[in-house]
Amino acid sequence: MSQGIPLALEEPEGASPQGAGPDLAAQVGLPVTGKRRGAKAFGARAADTLSRYGGAWVVWLILCILVAVPVGAFLLQAISPRMFGQGSSWFTLSAFSQAFQANAFKALLNSIWVSVAVCALDLLIGGGLAWMVQRTNVGGRRIWPGFMWALLLAPTYLMAQGWTYLLEPKGVFAQMGINASAVYHVFFGPAGVVFVLALANAPFAYLTISAALGGLGSQYEEAVRVHGGGRIATARVIVPVLAPAVLASIALVFAETMSDYGVSSTLAFQSHFQMATYGIYEAVTDLPTQFGVAGVLSILLLASAAIPLALQSRVTRGRSYAILSGRTRPANRHLLRRPAKWAMTSVVAGFFLLALGAPALGAFYGSFVSNLGVEIGAHDLTLNAYREVLSGSTQYGHVQVEGASALAAPLLLSLELAAITATVTAVLGLAVARLLAHRRPGRFTKAGDLLLLGSIALPGIVLGAGYIFAFNLPIASRFGVDLYETLPLLVMGYLATSVPTQSRIMMGQVAQVHTSLLEAARVHGARAISAWRSAYVPVVSRVLVLAWLVTFTKTFFELPISQLLYPPGQEPISVAINSWVSNYHYDIGTAMTVLALLLVFAVIAVVSGGFRLLAPRGWQRVGWRNVG
Amino acid sequence: MLRNPKNAVSRGKTRPALTGLASVALVSTALTLTTGTGIATAATSVTPLVVYSAQGYDSTETTAFQKATGIPVELDDDSTGPLLTKIEAEKNNPKWGVLWVDGATAFASLDQQGLLMKGWEPTVSWNALGKEAVPPDKSYVPTGFTMAGTLVYDDKTVTDPPTTWQDLLATKWNGDIGMNDPAVSGPTYPFVAGMMNYLGGVNQGEKFYTGLENNGLHVYLTNGDTLAALEAGIIKLALIQSSAGIGAGIKDPDIKVKFLPPVTALPSALGIDSKAPKAEQLEAEKFIEFVLSTQGQQLMQSGDPTGDSLYWPVLTGVTPLKALPALSSIKVQTINPYTWGSREDTINTWFTDNIVE
Repeated sequence: MSQGIPLALEEPEGASPQGAGPDLAAQVGLPVTGKRRGAKAFGARAADTLSRYGGAWVVWLILCILVAVPVGAFLLQAISPRMFGQGSSWFTLSAFSQAFQANAFKALLNSIWVSVAVCALDLLIGGGLAWMVQRTNVGGRRIWPGFMWALLLAPTYLMAQGWTYLLEPKGVFAQMGINASAVYHVFFGPAGVVFVLALANAPFAYLTISAALGGLGSQYEEAVRVHGGGRIATARVIVPVLAPAVLASIALVFAETMSDYGVSSTLAFQSHFQMATYGIYEAVTDLPTQFGVAGVLSILLLASAAIPLALQSRVTRGRSYAILSGRTRPANRHLLRRPAKWAMTSVVAGFFLLALGAPALGAFYGSFVSNLGVEIGAHDLTLNAYREVLSGSTQYGHVQVEGASALAAPLLLSLELAAITATVTAVLGLAVARLLAHRRPGRFTKAGDLLLLGSIALPGIVLGAGYIFAFNLPIASRFGVDLYETLPLLVMGYLATSVPTQSRIMMGQVAQVHTSLLEAARVHGARAISAWRSAYVPVVSRVLVLAWLVTFTKTFFELPISQLLYPPGQEPISVAINSWVSNYHYDIGTAMTVLALLLVFAVIAVVSGGFRLLAPRGWQRVGWRNVG
Repeated sequence: MLRNPKNAVSRGKTRPALTGLASVALVSTALTLTTGTGIATAATSVTPLVVYSAQGYDSTETTAFQKATGIPVELDDDSTGPLLTKIEAEKNNPKWGVLWVDGATAFASLDQQGLLMKGWEPTVSWNALGKEAVPPDKSYVPTGFTMAGTLVYDDKTVTDPPTTWQDLLATKWNGDIGMNDPAVSGPTYPFVAGMMNYLGGVNQGEKFYTGLENNGLHVYLTNGDTLAALEAGIIKLALIQSSAGIGAGIKDPDIKVKFLPPVTALPSALGIDSKAPKAEQLEAEKFIEFVLSTQGQQLMQSGDPTGDSLYWPVLTGVTPLKALPALSSIKVQTINPYTWGSREDTINTWFTDNIVE
């Protein structure tokens, strides 16, 4: 395909500067390669090697500690339980036979086909929405990205629950006199699972494809049109250019769907449709815990991430997709005529109504209507729960329990942890994205890529348990290093969930940045750091802000890792909310959720507003437009 | 396509960039670690008592205990599932001091793995139920009773509820019954085991649950989910823990609770970590004595009046909350937690493969 596109896809790697020779390179302060003799040469070479590969090694080392060690520990205990105090054998394969007896393959195949279906749907949904918002004058362009945000933050179990509230026998539709029983029966099955997950994971496809579309000026389309090409020819040019983003979105949606627990434990479980993550969860919560079985299932989940990666390496092998250079111009929008504009606007609005309307209904109904279903006709709307949460005391009949639902401490703690995690993730994620976006990855990078995507496919409970195995070793305690149940380890756990996802979202954008941007700065005499600051940071600044915001929000509400790793006495907000809900105080739990959401929206408004006000205008125009 | 990977220029520029990024990441990670470890190591000279608990009244109880004794308490308040997962995962190097959850079978299983301190019992005046619930090796201490698998329904939609367990198999209730998954919900395995115990064995019990499944049984994760399904009208009969059902009845008078004979007793209990430092084990004993004191019992009954406070006491002289029916009006059975605790894994696997699937 690439042979047929005579556009600037081939990076002129090494064209001009090498021609200029080492003297010129030395003059402009570039590292020089060539034959030298003696100790000086050796020193220079060592320094050169360090500057070339030092950064990469440090990044891989951090990833190794954050992801490889805990995931590895969890997988290892499946064959060597004794190593982690989980059994008597140093080596056994009994967990495998146990896992295969327990329908592991069936659950895994269910998960895989659902993920493939969700990928296909989300390419259409995410790609279509990205194109409409980025490239047409569809109505409401300023508000849709915000909605996409809200969708990214909506937990999948809440979406499943919201739809259940709508469709169930005594649900909202039934109250309104609409007979939804036919839809209800279809919904409670694989179809509903695919439907909810496709809606929930659409933002991942939207974000990655939007990023690519934003960096793609309209010059490619114009070039085709000038040469007499029609729409199909245009698509044949544009689609391959977008390949890294499309593949990144496939990989991400696949892994996110595989790892989903919210739908697999509610909708899928209730309709007797077993998925892999539920099998893992069940093995882990069984007593005595079957960590071995969970480990085997995790190995299978991790391996499944090879499917989208194989596709990715087949398609992108050795090609460059750098299109974001100094010559990139903002794209022109297609001006739709009125009927088309209205039709597209209603398609977008319809999507958000399906995706956000239902969970919103679930969340707000749950918090205001104290007896959902039973007294639904009376519309028993009450603000009591909110009053209790804000005053920090709970009224139980005649008994007042002081401090029972105190919100301030967990809220502040989660705010702090989420901000630290988001900041480290933005920086580290960018470094990882640069490594992964390498055009000709070595075996090491490929293995790292599989591990990272695989870790996205693993449910949080596996990472959490892996962290306990890896960082609560008796030998470490003997040396006085007790990381388990401390805040630093909790932050590391959060990073292990956020860095793989965020680096993959950034990868599409990073792959587009043409090295000519940096070369231009260096040729003009800028030193490495300042070239980087003036030519690279502006291009990726929006992506960084976006990564920060997504990570902040996801971390704020992260539950499984928080549950397993939080220091006793220092509850994050997600654990506090879960405790109320699991003790049947749904009203208080939901009211806390709503207040926490308001705080998160305030942080999002301050950070994105701050970026808009403080960052130079040029920064905001390059790269991702209309994404955040 | 130009293939010239040995391009010093492009490398020379991008790699320092990566080094820069990496060092920023490294510095910030290190900073997080040091500041956080500072918090972690700033412990007082008194060993804090680490309490892992899923009880609704736990924070009321630990706050009062800390005030009364000056022993600092670190409470990990969570659902039973994650707490037991943590205890199993940290077996190598346990960090917990005392565990407080529902279900003697869970404690029996921990005891059989050698994770509980044995041989200590507080000097209190047990009532009949309490005396029966203390294990022979004194590895855990009962604190109260709820019932597993009580029948909960809405009397607006169900006017003639079933009166025996066999009634549940009638086609009349086809698609109307819901229960929790024993592999996920702590208080549900004792219900499953209790039915097997009552019917005469594992095979008979499996037949009963297969019958329920053929009658369109709905399985949810926890009490809360099953209750939500009842309130939403998806099911008409919920088989859940008594405290959840009675609590729902306090909030909504149409919700009724019925105890099909026999109903299985579900003790809540406290167990001490066998590998905890001696000082912490002694603190844990003080905590257990506090919970079973007059003040401790009052706090247990006021800490969560629409949930876990709805328990039948294990001590003489403590009367249950008014919302609870008299024990004499209910036919209760207890099961041997050690016999049934060791079967939990295989029975849950059977349940997952045959009922949930």
